[in-house]
Amino acid sequence: MAAARADTLQSVELADGVEIQLRVAGPAVRSMAYMTDLLIRIGIDIVVAIGAFMLLPELIGKEMTNGLYLLFVFFMEWFYNVFFEAGAKGATPGQRSMKLRVMSVTGGPVTLAQAVMRNFLRVADFMPGLYLTGIVCMLFTKRFQRLGDLVANTVVTYAEVPPFIVPNVEIRAERRAPSKVLTREEQAALLQFLERAPLWADERRIELAALVQPLTEAEGVEGLRRLCGMALWLQAPEDKSGTPPPLKGAAMFRS
Amino acid sequence: MTPAQFEKQIEPRWQKLEKLLKETEQSHPSAEVEELPATFRQVCHDLSVAQHRMSPQRLTQQLNALAIRGYRVLERHSSGGWEAFARMILVEFPQAVRAEWKLFWWCTALFYVPAVLIAVITPSYPEWAMTLLGPDGMMQIESMYGEASKPSDYVHENFGTGFAAFCFYIWNNVSIDFRTFAGGILGGVGALFVLLFNSLYLGAVFGYVHYSGNPLTLYTWVIAHGAPELTGVVISAMAGMRVGWSVLRPGRMDRRTALVLAGRKALPLLVGAAVLTSVAAVLEGFWSPMDLPPVIKFTAGGMCWLLVAMFLLFSGRRQTDAA
Repeated sequence: MAAARADTLQSVELADGVEIQLRVAGPAVRSMAYMTDLLIRIGIDIVVAIGAFMLLPELIGKEMTNGLYLLFVFFMEWFYNVFFEAGAKGATPGQRSMKLRVMSVTGGPVTLAQAVMRNFLRVADFMPGLYLTGIVCMLFTKRFQRLGDLVANTVVTYAEVPPFIVPNVEIRAERRAPSKVLTREEQAALLQFLERAPLWADERRIELAALVQPLTEAEGVEGLRRLCGMALWLQAPEDKSGTPPPLKGAAMFRS
Repeated sequence: MTPAQFEKQIEPRWQKLEKLLKETEQSHPSAEVEELPATFRQVCHDLSVAQHRMSPQRLTQQLNALAIRGYRVLERHSSGGWEAFARMILVEFPQAVRAEWKLFWWCTALFYVPAVLIAVITPSYPEWAMTLLGPDGMMQIESMYGEASKPSDYVHENFGTGFAAFCFYIWNNVSIDFRTFAGGILGGVGALFVLLFNSLYLGAVFGYVHYSGNPLTLYTWVIAHGAPELTGVVISAMAGMRVGWSVLRPGRMDRRTALVLAGRKALPLLVGAAVLTSVAAVLEGFWSPMDLPPVIKFTAGGMCWLLVAMFLLFSGRRQTDAA
C-alpha cells in the first residue's frame, strides 16, 4: 500500500465480498452544492410567500395564512434535505447539479433515519458560523465527513464516473522485462502510466519517466522508451502481432 | 486469456446489468428483472477479476460504477411508511426512554431543580428573575398573567386563532427541540446549555408571577400543555446528551462506532420529543386558551401528566425489541 495517496478514492467492501471504490467529495464542491440548495430554498420560500399572501388571506384570513406559512417554513428548514436525500436519487437538487450523491458508508443508499440524523446535526456543524465545525471536521476525517456524516455513517460521493478519454493511439516500444521484481502497486502504476501517457506532452512524459530512473536505468527519451516497454511487457510478455517497428525520437505515440 | 478476450467475454454481462438497472431505476422492470441479483453478482465477480488482473482503468471504473448502481438498487429499502413511524412513536420511543432511565432522570433533575430553586428564591430576591426575563419578558408576563389579564387575550391579540398559535408553537418549539439535540454532539455542552437556560427561564417566569402576578392564571394555563412540552424539552436534551456522552465516554468502542450507535439510539428519543412537543402545541393552541373553571383545567391537566407518565412507563412493554 502506498504511504500517501493522492486521490480521494475510498475502498469499501460490499456484503457480496467485492470491493468497490467510492470517490468522496471534498468541502469545496459540497459548499457549492449547499449554496445552490440555499438559493433554491430561498427562492421557493419567496415564491410561496408571495403566492400565499396574495391568495389565501381573503379565503382563510391573515392569521391563518401566517400560521400556515410558518409551518411551511418549518418543514422547508428541517426536511428539505431529508426529503431529497432519502429519495430515490439520494441527492438534493443542489447536490445533483454538482453531480454529488449521499451514500451510506457501506456503499448502500441512505435510509430515512440516516438522512434525518445527518441533516439535523447541521446546526452543530454550522457553529460558530459558516459551517466552520463541519469543514474542520471534514479536513480531519479521511472520508470528508462532517459531524452529521459521522453520526449518520454517511459520505457524499461523486455520482458519476468522470468521462474517461480513451486515446486512440498505438504505442510503439520494444517489450522488455522489468529489471527488478515489481509489487502489484508498482505494476499497476506502470500500466496506468501507459494508459494515460498519450494524453500528456512529451516533456511531461519524460519528466515522469525520470522518477523511476532506478528501474529504467536510463535518462530522458531512452528512460521513457524503456518504461513504456516494461509496461507493454506487463500487459503481454510476448507480442503476437509481429515485430514492432523501430522508434524515432520521443514520438512513440501516434494518434 | 488475453485482456482483450477477457473484456469481450464479460461485456454481455455488464451490458445486461446496465439494461436491467436502467429499467428498474425508471420503475419499468421487464420480466428479466428476476435475473438482476445473479447478474449483479456476476459483474461483481468480473470486477474483482478485473481489479486483480489490473485491467485498464476505463474497464474497472465502468464496472465499479455499475457495481455501485446495482448495490443501490438491490439494497434499497422502503422506510416502512406510517406503520414504522407509528411503531417508532408508540413502541421504540418509550422503550428507548426506559432503556436510558438514568440519563432521563439526570436530565429531568437538571431541568427541574434549577427551575424550582430560582422560582423559590424569586419572592425574596426578585432581581435574579428580573435579570433573566428582561424588560420584554416581564411585560409579556404582565400582559398574560397580570392581576387583570388573561393569557387567552394575549394569544388572541398575537395570533388571532388557535390554529395560527399552534403553527407558531410547532415552528418555534419543535425547532428548539431539534437544535437542543444537535447541540448535544459537542460533548453534550449544547444540550446542557439549552436545558439549563430553559430551566432558569421557566423558573424565573413562575417565580415572577408569584411575586407580582396572578399564579392561578398561570397554573390553569400551563398545566395541560406543560406535561408534553416540558417532557419533550427534557427528552430532546436527553437525545443530545446520549450522542454527546458517546463522544466523551465511548467505552469499549472506538469513537466513530460509538457515535453511530448513539445516533441510532437517539433517533427514537428525538422523534418522540418532537411528537410530544407537537402534542403540546395542539393543546397550547386549542385547549389552553379556553375559558373554563379552574377545577376542569386542573383535572384535565393532571390527566395529561398522568397520561404522559403512563405512556413513558408502560407503552411498548410487551413488544419485544425488534432492533
